[in-house]
Amino acid sequence: MGEVMTAQGKNLPGDDTADLREIGFRSLDFSELALRVEDELEAELNFDAPGLRRIATVGDVLDFIEQLQSA
Amino acid sequence: MSEPSVIPPASVVLVSGGSRGLGLAIVTDLLTNGVKVAAFARTVTPELTALGEKYPDHLYYGSVDINDAQAGQAFVRAVETALGPIDGLVNNAAIGQDSLHVHTSADQLAEIITTNLTSPLVLTRFVLRRMLAKGLKGRIVNVTSICAQRGYPGLVAYSATKGGMDAATRSLARELGGRVLANAVAPGFFASEMSAVLGQTQLDQIVRRTPTGHLTEPDEVVPVVRMLLLDQTNINGQVLVVDGAASI
Repeated sequence: MGEVMTAQGKNLPGDDTADLREIGFRSLDFSELALRVEDELEAELNFDAPGLRRIATVGDVLDFIEQLQSA
Repeated sequence: MSEPSVIPPASVVLVSGGSRGLGLAIVTDLLTNGVKVAAFARTVTPELTALGEKYPDHLYYGSVDINDAQAGQAFVRAVETALGPIDGLVNNAAIGQDSLHVHTSADQLAEIITTNLTSPLVLTRFVLRRMLAKGLKGRIVNVTSICAQRGYPGLVAYSATKGGMDAATRSLARELGGRVLANAVAPGFFASEMSAVLGQTQLDQIVRRTPTGHLTEPDEVVPVVRMLLLDQTNINGQVLVVDGAASI
């Protein structure tokens, strides 16, 4: 997640409760992150939009990615 | 609210159906403008081969059936190795139709829909995944048709697929906001296509009804595609009709 934000000249805050809108982490940034994880796993991570809409904080992103990886 | 972002000009452009007609004209024009181009088609023509010999470092081409998703994906990976990451896509490959709906078999309908709608969407998905995974921004140009907006006999399935691509263009522009400019170019009938299907009388009638007085030529569409791929514009999610106002 930090790499995705750094590539855009932004910083990932240390606080997991940081609001994604406030730090400029958008849905496409999440897609980019998921695709990077896919590359590492060598498996597709497909998920629907409602699941994505529930994500609001940095912690939510990390939890969601973790769930996808373990699914 | 989306943050303002600039989508840079495409530097490596993949053109499907790039071996003849409009596709070949687009490939030629981009190469002339210094862009690296990858082109595939079911059949590689002597014209495309000649371009490959003229631009060995800038053109990568091969024989791929757009309906073969695995071959298409392998081609994309090979392009990345040869030219670098793809940041421009022109969905041009398509098959035509010249049969009344009631006389078009279900298999023929399926083939038209697969070739003109499903396969371009599958290719677009794959290219976008590669693009996003690399953190790249890019541009998409879908070559559709005036048939998507006006009714013409003998082109029911073809028109449906082109309308589908126009609709997909708009949703892609929304979905990829800030990362990709997605647009469509909808040419009117090309003189070559029309003369193959229609008689001279019908041809003359269409020309008379076209304010610019002539049918569209591929060379008139190419600058519009180039603009959408290379120029700094805020055009996004649009369908640009190039038909001499024949349809208005």
